[in-house]
Amino acid sequence: MSQATTLELDGRTVEFSPGETLLDVARRSGVEIPTLCDDPRLEPVGACRTCLVEVEGQRRLAPSCMTPATAGMNVSTGSERVDRHRRTLFGLYLTDHPVPDGVGEAGDELLEMAARYGAPSDWGRLESRRGDRTSDRNPYVLFDAERCILCARCTRYCDEVEGVNAISLSSRGAETTISTADALSLLDTSCELCGGCIDVCPTGAMTEKLPRTRGQEEVPVEAVRTTCNFCGVGCQLDLLVDRQANDGRGRVVRTVSPEPGTTTNDGNLCVKGRFAYDFIDHPDRLTHPLVRGADGELREASWDEALAAAAEGLRGVAERHGPDALGFVSSSRCTMEENFLVQKLARAVFSTNNVHQCAAT
Amino acid sequence: MDVDADVRARRASVPDVLEQAGGLAPGVARRVAHETGVPEAEVHGVASFYDLLARPDAKLRVCTGLSCRLAGADALLDAAKSAGLPVAEASCLAACDVAPAMLRDRDVVPAVTVDDVRRAAPDWTRLRSQAAPDDEPWRGRIGPDGADREQLVFDLAGDLDRSGAALARARELGPDAVLDALEESGLQGRGGAAFPAHIKWRGMVSQPPGPRYVVLNADESEPGTFKDRELLVRRPDLVLEGLTIAAQTVGAEDVWLYLRGEFGLPRRVLEAELDDAERSGRFGALRFHLHSGQGAYVCGEETALFEALEGRRGLPRHRPPLPIESGLWGRPTLIHNVETIASVPAIISKGGAWFRALGRTGPGTKLYCISGCVQRPGTYEMPLGISVDELLDAAGGCTGTLRAFSPGGAASGFLPASERTRPLDFAALGEAGSMLGSAGVVVLDDRVDLRDAVRDQLRFFEAESCGQCAPCRIGTHYLRDALDRQAAGDRDALAHVADVAWQMGEGSICGLGQTAAMPLTTALEHFPEEFSS
Ligand SMILES: Cc1cc2nc3c(=O)[nH]c(=O)nc-3n(C[C@H](O)[C@H](O)[C@H](O)COP(=O)(O)O)c2cc1C
Ligand code: SF4
Repeated sequence: MSQATTLELDGRTVEFSPGETLLDVARRSGVEIPTLCDDPRLEPVGACRTCLVEVEGQRRLAPSCMTPATAGMNVSTGSERVDRHRRTLFGLYLTDHPVPDGVGEAGDELLEMAARYGAPSDWGRLESRRGDRTSDRNPYVLFDAERCILCARCTRYCDEVEGVNAISLSSRGAETTISTADALSLLDTSCELCGGCIDVCPTGAMTEKLPRTRGQEEVPVEAVRTTCNFCGVGCQLDLLVDRQANDGRGRVVRTVSPEPGTTTNDGNLCVKGRFAYDFIDHPDRLTHPLVRGADGELREASWDEALAAAAEGLRGVAERHGPDALGFVSSSRCTMEENFLVQKLARAVFSTNNVHQCAAT
Repeated sequence: MDVDADVRARRASVPDVLEQAGGLAPGVARRVAHETGVPEAEVHGVASFYDLLARPDAKLRVCTGLSCRLAGADALLDAAKSAGLPVAEASCLAACDVAPAMLRDRDVVPAVTVDDVRRAAPDWTRLRSQAAPDDEPWRGRIGPDGADREQLVFDLAGDLDRSGAALARARELGPDAVLDALEESGLQGRGGAAFPAHIKWRGMVSQPPGPRYVVLNADESEPGTFKDRELLVRRPDLVLEGLTIAAQTVGAEDVWLYLRGEFGLPRRVLEAELDDAERSGRFGALRFHLHSGQGAYVCGEETALFEALEGRRGLPRHRPPLPIESGLWGRPTLIHNVETIASVPAIISKGGAWFRALGRTGPGTKLYCISGCVQRPGTYEMPLGISVDELLDAAGGCTGTLRAFSPGGAASGFLPASERTRPLDFAALGEAGSMLGSAGVVVLDDRVDLRDAVRDQLRFFEAESCGQCAPCRIGTHYLRDALDRQAAGDRDALAHVADVAWQMGEGSICGLGQTAAMPLTTALEHFPEEFSS
């Protein structure tokens, strides 16, 4: 191990690569450092202060997310000073955050961390002065300003990942909040309703409206990994399914994106992937093929019947009017393989070049 | 055209364009976004950050700094409100020597009385005071009387010197000798951190080639401090010549002058001086850029000041990197306080050794501001290291029995009268758990309610925290709230102050949060009896 690329981390000698931060090195070495404003997709800002560590020879505690690993550094993440820092920092956060009966409520990373690091929760409560946008009529995103800890993950995500800049930090001091221009509804801004702000929020200050309005916030759910079928990109998403709902047939309560860095979509989704899951259990959804009878009425059929009816219809047109009377349009919701087969069907089976796909313009 | 430079310039113009558009009001952010190409949410973020932009309806502001509160600011506020004038509170207006002060649009009106306010109503534009009856340029009191002018660095009472002699001397000496003179002088930054100036200058010189900037920090907003205002109004010649010598030495072609937005008068004085310099051509091809802030104390923190100049919310940056490596627009930047920069011409003309010998316990003279319970509040140029007693002597004495004093702005906390002979310098005050900071001395006599005084200072930090980091954003709110609860009879309200203050000191990103608990912690240490009920 060359001296030039090692440092001391809690008494262990660990190697690092150039460009790594202390946080990177710690994570790779299995040393836990709490973070709230960190997201692998975003530039570090060191704003939440939870990741401070002690570096020998430095007067001040250093934000590990922004401190480059340097040869020979002596870093401690568990010193008395760092411990006291975490306890008092989380203690202070709790004075400005809704705390339910027991600290450590699942789904709120701040409360979980406060419990894990033994933060005092008896320092009193401050009244939140953060402005909210409760009148925002957008159907998806709800901002609960009281729960906001201003880690600015949402605003940075909106800027750095989506390039949309619909929301920004606004005002200052204790009044600092997350706002659109003039506190407009998201619908009246550049917002694309990708819901990324909900996904990156560590405390549930940005939440989804639909499960709330349906009273489904608290139901136990199971995550089912699937591929989004709204387009051919193949984003992975996790459907959170309530198995008991609909008389045991189950119901998708909401959709979340997998951890950044684990799938091709890197934790990102668009408005359809994230919010358009309602059709899955919708009563109007077609779950069987329908074939129109001679009487003009639609009637449930088997796949064999339906396919035979389609084949007959297509063949009939080709025979009566020639193959170029047919046209095939496939969907970007199909996979590439399915699209390939559709053009095969057009060209090889029916001998026409009239084939198109909606994303091919 | 350089596209990056264009984007940069348009972003930098956001605060000015917002000001011209009338500040934060429905629809403005969208219009400014169209004009500048900056997303509207970000424009809104900027507009809502700066006090002068965020509350455009407040045409008048009453200073609620400690010295102005002692001089009757509350009565002014009440009078203005009951007269139906469009009034709001301001943090400190850097006019503690002419307390109570008010802001009319972007101009400070000194020594305002309740009658002045009533006379102006209902037209806020008519607000005038005896101290500046026809809106003529006003000045604060300076001293000490009878000082030997040969022993003064600034000679605030002296005439403007437009000869350019110091600059010519610096050219003659060349950069190396200028740096040596600066080192020999021992000049330490006067903005609060007391960092040796020559180290920053040398650090600039050793940066790789490329554009670099010199920036003047004239944000002066620390409660109790007004010396930079007085220097700018009386000796703009020294400020511009000092900046020119600095730019020439470190190889900068652009100089940015950042003035707090409430410095309408100092700005006009500087503009006139710049016009004259341009006509005479005495500063060569150097480009000066004047910029007015929009109301935010935190922008005095140098990296927040860069953010403000770049047209963003004034959030302090992390360090490293230091400004000399990466400052304004990521370029090497030499930033100095007004007083530091104005010391340079004398150091070059009369020599580093001369400057060093002027001080008593540290190098040079110091512009001490004194206000509060004192007969002749003002700006006093005296040897570095005099005591409060000596300063009080020069300023006509305390108005009552000296009880406590704040030696260097709100962040220095309060010391008891028993410290009256301690040298007011960087080291000795540090040993007493305080600091010289910006040398804005506020004295309190035995009639002042110390708890009220502490509250004023806590309220200041709470209002001025940028809100970026939790220790400061929540801590400043918590401490003021705790003191209020204590005053209202909650005996346990202050139980966690020590832990909160510790966290603010350790966890905050910048100096604001790191020192914002000082007024309370020092008062609890030295005056526990004030907090026993
Ligand atoms: C919250 C805060 C406010 C500050 N305000 C000012 C100011 O108004 N004027 C100033 O010169 N320095 C101010 N400073 C200090 C600057 O960050 C910086 O140290 C100074 O401009 C450097 O110049 P100097 O070396 O000449 O002192 C402030 C620092 C902090 C942390
Ligand atoms: S310490 Fe206060 S002023 Fe400084 S960065 Fe943090 S919140 Fe902003």
